[in-house]
Amino acid sequence: MLCQNCGKNEANIRYTQIINGVKKEIALCSSCAKKLGMENLEMPISFNSFLGDFFNDYAETEFLPMLQTNELKCKTCGMTYNDFIDTGMFGCSDCYDVFSNPIDSLLKNLHGTAKHIGRGPNGKAEKIKVEESKKEDSNKQDQNQNKKERLEKELEKAIKEERYEDAAKIRDEIKEMNK
Amino acid sequence: MNWYLQNGKDSDVIISSRVRLSRNIEGLPYVQKCNEEQLKTVHNKLKDITPSIGYGLKFISLNDLDNTNKQALVEKHIISPEFSKTRNKYAAIIINDEENICIEVNEEDHIKLQVFSSGMELENLMNLAIEIDQKLEELVPYSFNKKYGYLTACPTNVGTGLKVSVLAHLTALSLTENIRKVLNAVNNLGMSIRGMYGEGSKPEGDLYQISNNQTLGVTEKEITKNVKLISQKVIEQERTARKYLAKKGIDLEDKIYRDFGVLSNARKLSEEEARELLSSVKLGTDLGIIKELDDTKISKLILQTKPANLQLRVGKELSIYEQYIERAKIVQDIINEK
Ligand SMILES: [Zn+2]
Ligand SMILES: [Zn+2]
Repeated sequence: MLCQNCGKNEANIRYTQIINGVKKEIALCSSCAKKLGMENLEMPISFNSFLGDFFNDYAETEFLPMLQTNELKCKTCGMTYNDFIDTGMFGCSDCYDVFSNPIDSLLKNLHGTAKHIGRGPNGKAEKIKVEESKKEDSNKQDQNQNKKERLEKELEKAIKEERYEDAAKIRDEIKEMNK
Repeated sequence: MNWYLQNGKDSDVIISSRVRLSRNIEGLPYVQKCNEEQLKTVHNKLKDITPSIGYGLKFISLNDLDNTNKQALVEKHIISPEFSKTRNKYAAIIINDEENICIEVNEEDHIKLQVFSSGMELENLMNLAIEIDQKLEELVPYSFNKKYGYLTACPTNVGTGLKVSVLAHLTALSLTENIRKVLNAVNNLGMSIRGMYGEGSKPEGDLYQISNNQTLGVTEKEITKNVKLISQKVIEQERTARKYLAKKGIDLEDKIYRDFGVLSNARKLSEEEARELLSSVKLGTDLGIIKELDDTKISKLILQTKPANLQLRVGKELSIYEQYIERAKIVQDIINEK
């Protein structure tokens, strides 16, 4: 292949340039490469100026700072602060409230801040219930669940409308279902 | 064509991009603290809502996948090696045919929503992830706190719950022994860069993952921008290193053609050998030294020489020795494909 710059000499240097996502290959002879400044292409990687002070507020820190052990315990999931230090993992959402004090400094170390500023959900999704019942037929269970929810709503309505006789009947029916 | 065989932006250096959102369901403990009933509740709930999410997503229980199929997903970097080995029988994935969307269910968090693309494609991926997230939040109540944002099992993910990452092929930086500098620089900027699989030693096939560390106190947009900026700097450095190598002319060409010679003529190839040779041959293709291959063939070669994907291509289970022989055949088949 001939040099793509002078078109005379045999090309012995090739390299690829990518400009705006388009790959362009250039083949050059050594004298043209020299002329174009490709000859003494050193590897002057100066990473000190890599991104300037792009992330000024970052602190290189260890993952988990040593904090005094304490007796804090999350009632919802049973996690203690020491468990958390051991595993690096929380057990449930309530842990974030229970351990709010000690984790603020941890979060500051990890992220440089302890306050969320990103997106949030607008979802109106209904709360999920765990089916603790051991009934085999989950379909039937779902139906029961739905029926119960319906009855509870009816009960609320009956009380609101002061239809106490109806309310008592509905309450008994719910009681029966809970057996 | 699946995203991992496509040829994306800056794909001479960036193999693929990924955006991942970690989410938990309100009112349930995190996966590690869940009892069977609770894990089952998460599993069933996500199974129920899968058709409502759209995107052609299908719910697949990990239990229903054999080891080869699970391993094949790991090789494509779609699920983590740890998740593929989980003993949690309520672990599942929600995935589409293109495999560019994969939601891990009951991993460390209840929901790990991931979207993938070949090459450098962060903004589009971010938008897609948010779009799917907005559908999900209509269907499941997220655990969210005004102060801390989206709550996650591990505090390294809290806030946005967002990890943006790219997989980079830094072979010239590695060959010129400049890789350490890059790793240090990126780490000093508060980003994470690590070799795929390998800890400390030379990562497999010179593949490195660059991703954000900070997830709290920063917006989704900023995270995306930061990862993009750092990645672009790394791309620049890798390309500079490649120019430097290309300047060596015949020496580099000799090495690459020797590697290509072995790759295309061997009758037995181990996984490691194929990976090393392909890393070199990919560089040769990106530099335009090797004309016999294109990017799609390279992607195919890299993926289909990995054990699980190789066995899926052949269509049966193979012993390690049989894999060596089939691997060499597959390499030749792909190289000779029209
Ligand atoms: Zn010339
Ligand atoms: Zn808790």
